[in-house]
Amino acid sequence: MTREEVYERLNKVFREILDDDTIELYDETVADDIDGWDSFEHINLVVGVEEEFGFKIPMGKVVTMKNVGEMVDIILELGK
Amino acid sequence: MSITSFSFLVLITVGTLVYYIIPKKIQWIELLALSLVFYSFSVAPYTFIYIALATAIAYISTMLIKKGKKAGLIFCTAMISLLLIWFVIKGYGLWYPVCIRVIPLISTSLMNKIDSFQIVAAMGMGYYTLQILGYIIECYWGNIQPQQNPFKLLLFVAYFPQLTTGPISRYADLKTMYDGRAFNYDNICMGAQRILWGFFKKLVIAERVGIIVSSINADPGTYHAFYSWIALLLYPLQMYTDFSGCMDIVIGVSELFGIRLAENFNNPFFARSSQEFWQRWHITLGTWAKDYVLYPLLKSKPMISFGKFTRNKLGRKKGAFVKNLIGMFVLWMVMGIWHGGYKYIVGVSLWYWIILMLGNLTASTFEKITNIFEVKTTSFGWHLFQSIRTYIIYAVGAAFFVCGTSGGIYLIGDCIKVFYEEKYANPWIFFDGSILELGVGYRDINIILIGVLILFIVGILREKYGYARLWIKNQSFVFRWAIWLFLLMMVVIYGNYGPDFNAADFIYMGF
Repeated sequence: MTREEVYERLNKVFREILDDDTIELYDETVADDIDGWDSFEHINLVVGVEEEFGFKIPMGKVVTMKNVGEMVDIILELGK
Repeated sequence: MSITSFSFLVLITVGTLVYYIIPKKIQWIELLALSLVFYSFSVAPYTFIYIALATAIAYISTMLIKKGKKAGLIFCTAMISLLLIWFVIKGYGLWYPVCIRVIPLISTSLMNKIDSFQIVAAMGMGYYTLQILGYIIECYWGNIQPQQNPFKLLLFVAYFPQLTTGPISRYADLKTMYDGRAFNYDNICMGAQRILWGFFKKLVIAERVGIIVSSINADPGTYHAFYSWIALLLYPLQMYTDFSGCMDIVIGVSELFGIRLAENFNNPFFARSSQEFWQRWHITLGTWAKDYVLYPLLKSKPMISFGKFTRNKLGRKKGAFVKNLIGMFVLWMVMGIWHGGYKYIVGVSLWYWIILMLGNLTASTFEKITNIFEVKTTSFGWHLFQSIRTYIIYAVGAAFFVCGTSGGIYLIGDCIKVFYEEKYANPWIFFDGSILELGVGYRDINIILIGVLILFIVGILREKYGYARLWIKNQSFVFRWAIWLFLLMMVVIYGNYGPDFNAADFIYMGF
């Protein structure tokens, strides 16, 4: 799985859960950059990502990821 | 030993001098020794046993968790033991009112035994307990490696500046505290400035506001209507200057040793909504509850299944709202229960849970209204309106927090009377000298007003430059020093201190 492929699927998950087709994610994107991405939606997004990629993201990673780039790193690492 | 006392200033001056003279390898030992000295002079020294016990539980459990065998069981045992110790000692305000109603029905002698049981809590128990729980959780999650040296772990738990009122530190942020540090003029300078700013907030503003508020609270039979409004609107100012003033001193003291503690406040009264307010007020408690309670709860299997169920039955938005309702309730209950009393559960948990849920429900309606009236939501006027609204919402919560449930209802009811009972509606109390009966003179009122103006200017600088101190640092030598000398003079001349004056304890010291 390439980084680009992860981004393509991640964009789909974010757009669906946050109900916003204009969302475009980048490495530096943080919660403040996207309307509606609050503490509650954060977990909904994580669960959505888990369902999309078919693996669980450990709780420790959920609380430490600082931006989308780190989320992609975690997905690539877990998807190996 | 209060952190606004002369003896504390002596302790940190001597402590800082020694810190930069001794070899770097043993600097952390000096910090531990300072913490023990501070503790022994502040509360009953024997209560340190609780801190030692909590550290021992954390040390042993994390070492066993690292080995990997029965990690889940060890983790749960450690968490339950620490919570139980906290509940018996600091949760006294929660269980005692229940006991006093129930136990006498079963056995009077048992109640007498409970009454004779004197419990003295350790200093900063609420803060260090959360800190240790966070440490064990992070070790269990594998985010950090357990500390191998139990005395170093003890320093993380008992580090003296944060024992007073937090902040609730994370081990990942403080693990560099054991590294040696060379003398750095900037650390001393910035630390001393931060301490001075804290003294200004506490001794010049909070103490004066406290006199007015206490006078009104002490005699609700005499002080009605507009007096109640004075109390209601001054609670947030008193809480802020007291709590954040203490945090400034705490963070400043730690900066002297080159150790950066987490910020607990970020201009809360500039917030546009109650949700944003809590992202700027008591930040370390909010993030603790979010990371260690809310996230694991929402990510638990039952909650995920429940979320799917509500989404299927009610649709995406309504389904998410119902799920959030439960998540928010648990989050706010944890924040309220941590304060250790029912009035705090009302003033913090229930009040904010209701407000935030109402905000969530009415958000789209408000958006439509602002669109219809073409309100410029980016304008200063609109920001001011939103900030005042957030301030008043906090003031109502603070009324319950300070006066208790019935006291808070009484005070708010009294404020409302102004609008319909003519005999209460006497705004002349602000001009005819009546407010001077509240224990302060015109000079004190002027000092409070100047203090608020200074807070406001510093708040604007902070919004713009991150820290007002950073802006000041870039000014010319003369202007820079004029500012700090002015602040020093304000504290020396107008601060409430000295051998005949006992500054009130910090409000947040009790937790």
